[in-house]
Amino acid sequence: MLKAVSRAYVRGGAQALSTGLKTSGAAVNTIASRQAHTDLQVPDFTAYRRDSVKDSRRRNESAEERKAFSYLLVGGGAVGGAYAAKGLVNAFLGSMSASADVLAMAKIEIKLADIAEGKSVTFKWRGKPLFIRHRTQAEIDTERGVPTSSLRDPETDDQRVIKPQWLVVIGVCTHLGCVPIANSGDFGGYYCPCHGSHYDASGRIRKGPAPLNLEVPTHEFPDEGTLIVG
Amino acid sequence: MKVIYNTLFKRTSTYAVAIIGATFFFERAIDVSSTALFESINKGKLWKDIKSKYE
Repeated sequence: MLKAVSRAYVRGGAQALSTGLKTSGAAVNTIASRQAHTDLQVPDFTAYRRDSVKDSRRRNESAEERKAFSYLLVGGGAVGGAYAAKGLVNAFLGSMSASADVLAMAKIEIKLADIAEGKSVTFKWRGKPLFIRHRTQAEIDTERGVPTSSLRDPETDDQRVIKPQWLVVIGVCTHLGCVPIANSGDFGGYYCPCHGSHYDASGRIRKGPAPLNLEVPTHEFPDEGTLIVG
Repeated sequence: MKVIYNTLFKRTSTYAVAIIGATFFFERAIDVSSTALFESINKGKLWKDIKSKYE
């Protein structure tokens, strides 16, 4: 009897048999039943099918059209998603850039006709004093003639100015940050009263404790008579 | 539909390109139409409508 039962087992039965020799025959028969459901009917889904796929013998010709519809829906969602994602990224990056009022304050536009030759004018720019000096030809010639080997911070006058008659420097002493006085000092440029640094008419340090030349900000001359710093 | 499927949707590469390309036109269409809608609803209250009174 046991042999006949074991044939019905396909897998997993052998162990049950070897350990379960003493179990009753009824229990073994319960495990051995096949339960293959071969008698079940496959349900008819015709009511749910499209007309074009109801006949299984016909060649399936509408597949591309049906796929195109599905892909169109997904693609439409992707287009909307891409648009929304672009808007989000744009808004986030835009929040990190400088606002319009900050950008407006970052530049200063100066009418050069108001500054007479030989004068140095001070403006406030980004919270710092900005010196603009209309140099005379004599000053230009003097500064062009200074050998760089004699300078503490060697820079030629060409490197510091765009137009030779206009010197644009930030009026903060490179020693400890005082504001130098224009048209004074031993070299006719700027003189810092705090610790006695002398700058020449090109804003270069010539005498005193300051280590560097006066800083030249980025500036440009968009047309004759206008200067934009920043 | 068949032609669209075979030329654009069948390959992932062309599908992605189609989506990205369509996004440009979609964005333009949405932006222009929503601006037009906003301006038609708020007609008479916008700066461009009252500008002539102050300049």
